[in-house]
Amino acid sequence: MEGVSYQRFPKVKIREMKDDYMKFELRETDASMANALRRVMIAEVPTIAIDLVEIEANSSVLNDEFIAHRLGLIPLVSDDAMGMRFSRDCDACDGDGQCEYCSVEFHLNVRCDSDQTLDVTSNDLRSTEPRVIPVDVAARSLASESGGFDSPDQRLDLTVRVVDPEAYTYDEEVIKKAEAMGKPGLVEIYAKEDSFIFTVESTGAIKSYQMVINAIEILKQKLDAVRLQDTVDADIGELTQHLGRGL
Amino acid sequence: MNAPDRYERFVVPEGTKKVAYERDTKIVNAASFTIEREDHTIGNILRMQLHRDPNVLFAGYKLPHPLQYKIIIRIHTASQSSPTQAYTQSIDDLDRELDHLKKSLEEEKRRYEEKFRQGY
Ligand SMILES: [Zn+2]
Repeated sequence: MEGVSYQRFPKVKIREMKDDYMKFELRETDASMANALRRVMIAEVPTIAIDLVEIEANSSVLNDEFIAHRLGLIPLVSDDAMGMRFSRDCDACDGDGQCEYCSVEFHLNVRCDSDQTLDVTSNDLRSTEPRVIPVDVAARSLASESGGFDSPDQRLDLTVRVVDPEAYTYDEEVIKKAEAMGKPGLVEIYAKEDSFIFTVESTGAIKSYQMVINAIEILKQKLDAVRLQDTVDADIGELTQHLGRGL
Repeated sequence: MNAPDRYERFVVPEGTKKVAYERDTKIVNAASFTIEREDHTIGNILRMQLHRDPNVLFAGYKLPHPLQYKIIIRIHTASQSSPTQAYTQSIDDLDRELDHLKKSLEEEKRRYEEKFRQGY
């Protein structure tokens, strides 16, 4: 069975690409692959966020927990995240989350000496790692997909021209119209089930293009993790099964 | 509160294998693979890839319970193949598909940026 493969060779076409937004076509694969990439982008591409806060002094009107929670919501530039370790499986610091492999330290030191209210923003955070700083954009992330449609069949002398195949939602209107004209079956519509349009919006923590690349990489790692470790055991299981039948 | 700990969603419990293989005792060439700490993302692509293998007679996956973070993949193959062979093949094929996708995307990005440089 050497050399057997049921692999697909998907094609991509970028329609639009900016740092925080990207639109591309993914063709010649199926919905499961498109959906896996979408799910990984939403939930499994790592980013960096503030997780552990030690407060030395806080005499503001906001309590410690409130401040810690707000700090955790600040998007941070996460280009380095793929190369870092999750603190839970970092063996350099035993999961303390305090070493260079799995953490970045920030300092926040502000003092209000006037009788005016002082605004404290992400600009006041001082990072010890210049590559990891707060993203100064509104946090918004969304990824979606939708399928395109084939041009309807053209038969007889009637020409159906599709102006914008993506704008057409499948509502069977043209099919009903054809029936009303006394030509049932004149128009047939098939969804293109191997084509997808991806829209990727990033918080700015990772560039949209890098987000897609990272998602592919994470999915590869996930697949690698579910490989059979005890292939030998399994093969022996199969072998005894065959032998058992042979006897 | 009886909510499960958050880490339980991705940490494989000690003494448990990431993938456990169990052969069907009644049907030949049928087996179940219990995969710990995975969900629809892996379950669905593996199932669909297994369907592309003509030696696979049946392939399905289930997520038994939303608070039990594991999936079960069941494979039944023809006699020329075996569930482990089909399972490994599907992972290999998906892995290569993703390699191809990554390469295509990198090439497409270069093309796209070149188009912009030329003031298109
Ligand atoms: Zn560490």
